[in-house]
This record gives sequence, structure tokens and C-alpha cells, in this order.
Amino acid sequence: MIRSRTLDIVLGVAGILILLGLWHLVTSYELISRVFLPGPAATFRSLERGIVEGALLPQTWATIERMLQGWLLASVVAIAIGSLIGVSSTARAYLQPTLEFLRPLPASAIIPVAIAVVGLSWKMVLFVVVFGSVWPTLLATVHGFAHVEPRLVEVSRLLQMSRLAFIFKIGLPNAVPDILAGMRLSLTVALILAVVGELLTGELGLGTAVLHASRQYRADDLYAGIILLGVIGLVSNYGLALADKRILAWKG
Amino acid sequence: MTAARNAIELKEVSLSFGSNQILTGIDMRVEPGEFICVIGASGSGKTTLLRMIAGLLTPTSGAVLLHGKPVRSPSRRVAVVFQDYGRALLPWRRAYANVSLPLEAGGMPASQRPARIRELLAKVGLGNHEDKFPGQLSGGMQQRLQIARALAQEPDTLLMDEPFGALDAMTRQTLQDEVLRLVSERKTTVFFVTHDIEEALYLGDRVVALDSNPGRVAYDIKVPLPRPRDQLTTREHPEFLRLRREMFEIMNKIHA
Ligand SMILES: Nc1ncnc2c1ncn2[C@@H]1O[C@H](COP(=O)(O)OP(=O)(O)O)[C@@H](O)[C@H]1O
Ligand SMILES: [Mg+2]
Repeated sequence: MIRSRTLDIVLGVAGILILLGLWHLVTSYELISRVFLPGPAATFRSLERGIVEGALLPQTWATIERMLQGWLLASVVAIAIGSLIGVSSTARAYLQPTLEFLRPLPASAIIPVAIAVVGLSWKMVLFVVVFGSVWPTLLATVHGFAHVEPRLVEVSRLLQMSRLAFIFKIGLPNAVPDILAGMRLSLTVALILAVVGELLTGELGLGTAVLHASRQYRADDLYAGIILLGVIGLVSNYGLALADKRILAWKG
Repeated sequence: MTAARNAIELKEVSLSFGSNQILTGIDMRVEPGEFICVIGASGSGKTTLLRMIAGLLTPTSGAVLLHGKPVRSPSRRVAVVFQDYGRALLPWRRAYANVSLPLEAGGMPASQRPARIRELLAKVGLGNHEDKFPGQLSGGMQQRLQIARALAQEPDTLLMDEPFGALDAMTRQTLQDEVLRLVSERKTTVFFVTHDIEEALYLGDRVVALDSNPGRVAYDIKVPLPRPRDQLTTREHPEFLRLRREMFEIMNKIHA
């Protein structure tokens, strides 16, 4: 039997409530010191101060902006380069091994290089976010292009389509499901790296806010920041899932 | 040489894949406007032959000529309808946009396309389905869509590779009649591959039978049945019955 959507939502909300309940119990019996783990009530008061009264808003926007900038730039670069590599089986043969080598390289490994090249600045953060989040979309684009139905390649030949027309009318649309899946992975990576970049450079953002809160033993602010980061990840992923559904309507 | 150039001419055409001889010494002439059906067992090289005429494959030896000119690569004057409509259509384009593809490729100005697309969709009975994706259409409707896309090229030669092989009998008969009507309107030359003897006789002006291993022309017979053809009267016509019997005997002899 297929569970209904409503039931899924009810279960999801129940899961969150149970977690909040446990959190409340753990802190009200002080199983963990409040210095390290404040109660949910204190955390939500801090969240309220941060969002409703606006104390955390500039930081939140700064992190979101950093994430989106890097992610969008990475997506454009990934789709453009991925299309060029993917459309040619020769290019694929040359570059695929290199890509497979670069991809699992932790983006943090590139940070020293980035610092050396562009210095400890917002440019370095952007560079690291782009470098780290470019791979999922790039490889997905190449994969999508490499797996065009051979019949459609024949159709393009029969219609004497130019290579450019093939890319835009067949290759790219064919790769869209892969690209969207890659972009969702990339977005998560972009958020992580945006925060890491803030921690390193001290630029305004939720990462820095969380770091300061922790140094000053403001545990409630620390957790408020972490929750906000989680919410950013959740909302952006959900937004992309909705976009997927619309764009891939033809999959039925 | 001849007054009217042949629409399709194959001269001593042979094709091998590696050491595997698929077709040998194929000689064939198709006049403009002629409807020729090619039958043969599975693996006899029918698809390979069609792909050479389409310019998708180059013969190992011999020549393929269209209107007197050697075929070197595909041309938009030649349209192909594949059996596997599910793969040949663009699944992310609606019916309307699928028909638009050849118009875009042929450089028709965007302002002229809508009228032409709607005319073609109406012609194949898909006037009310222009907003559907191929995945939302039945097999018969998808094949109609592929036919509309082929006609959008305004081809003078139409190559069809077992186009109705995957359809049920009722749909197949309807589509046979539609294809006959559509190509007679424009005097299109048709090269129609099938493994169904009755289909070949019902549609064709001529039927060519291929022998297998390697593929070669075994028989080439004229079908002097009156047009327009009719699913009942043509199939009951004494000449149809006689030819059907003859073809069965030929095919049995080939495969014996
Ligand atoms: N690209 C190819 N490479 C090697 N052999 C092929 C290729 N295409 C077809 N063949 C072989 O050529 C023969 C004829 O195939 P085909 O033209 O598809 O026959 P038909 O359409 O009459 O069933 C078959 O034995 C098939 O295995
Ligand atoms: Mg075949």
C-alpha cells in the first residue's frame, strides 16, 4: 500500500516533535551542561531575537548570498564545460580520468592553494565554493550528454543539425534530469563551503556568527545559528525538488 | 540515361561489417512517386539497406544514388520513420515541438512555423493533442507524430522501417491507409520495409523480397492492384490473393 502524503507529513512533524521532546528532557535534567547544550526554549528565544528582531538577518543573507553566488557560478561553468566535454566522445576519453581524479579531491584541500593565489578574502571563499560545488553538476552534465539515445543522434544527422543545434536541441535537454540532480548535490556542497570559507576569513555570515557565539559561550546563539543553516539547506533543497518536478513534467 | 531519373538507384551495392558480409550485389531502381515495399526475414539486411539510402551508412562497394546523385551523407529531402517511435521522438518536447524540429533544422522562420505545424498535426489526426508529451500518447499516436515530423521535412523520399510492426492490427490498418493518402497527395517516393507479406502487397506498387546471408534481391514483382486501395476490396481482390500466394511460396522457397 502506498502511504498517503498527509500521513508522511504527519510522521515527519511527529519526528521533529519527538526530537524536540528528547532535547527538552535532556536539557531540563541537565544530562548535558547547559553551557554546551541549551534547552529548546532558550534556543528558540535566540532564534526569535535573530530573525524577528533582526540580529542574525544580515549574517543569514550573507551566507545565502555567498552560497547562491558560488553555486550559480559553478552551475553555469559546469553546464558549459560539461556540454563541451560531453558532446565529443574524444574529449570525454581525454578528460574523464582527470575529472574523476579531481572530483573526490576534498574541496578543503584546495583552500591553501586558493589562499596562496587570491589571498584570505571573499574572493577566496567564492573560489572555494565554486571549485567544490562545480563537480557534481559537471560530471552529471557529461554523463547526460554521453547517454543520448542513439536514435536521436541519428535523427539529428538526418536533419543535418549543426553541432550547436544538437547541443541545444538534443544534448542539453537530454542531460537536464542529470544536471538537476547534480545541481542539488552542488547546492549542499556550496552551503558547506560557504560556511567553511567564513570561518577561515571571518567574513560576515552565519558561520562566523556561530564561531563567535561558541567562543563567547553563548550556546543558545550557537544552536540558533546551526538551526538556521539547517533550514537554509532544507528550504533550498525543497525548492529545487519543486523546480525538478516542474521542469521534468515530461517524465510524467 | 533514362528520361525520368530514378528517385532511388542502387548499383551493385554490397556492405560488410568487418568480415561479416551483410548485403551483396543489390541492384534496385525506384521511380519517382513509386511505393516500393521490401520484405525479408529478420536479419536479412532490410534496415541496413534503408540506412544506406538514408546516408547513415556507406556501402562497402557499389553506389547509392538519389535522383542521379551519389548519397554521401543524410539530406533533409529524405525522411525516415523508425519502428521504435518511443526512441525516435524527443520525449521532452510536446507533440507540437516535435513536429517543429525539422522546421527549425531547415531554417523556417519562427513566424511561419505554427500554421505549418498545426496543419501537419491535423493531417495525422493529432490536432487535439499538440500539448501532449510523447509519453502521454498511445503507440499509434506516437507513430502518427513521427510521420507528421517526417512530413514536416517535405521529403521527396520517405524511408519507413517496419513502422507499424509494434502496433495492434486495427491501428496498423488505419495507419496504412493514412500513409497511402498522405504520400499520394504529394507523390512522394516511398521505401517501405516490412516483414508482413500482406502489408507489402496492400501498400506497394512493387514488392522486393530479400534473401538472407548475405542479403540479396531474390524477387522483384509488380503489384498491379488498382488505387486507391481499400482494406476490404483490395484484400479480397483475386489479384491480391494470387500475389499473396505467390509471395508466400517465394518466401518459403527462400527460407527452405
Ligand atoms: N552496426 C552493425 N555492426 C555489425 N553488424 C550489424 C550492424 N547492424 C546490423 N548488423 C547485422 O547485419 C545483419 C542485418 O541486420 P538488419 O539490417 O538490421 O536486418 P533486418 O532489418 O532485415 O532485420 C544482422 O545480422 C545484424 O546482426
Ligand atoms: Mg530491421
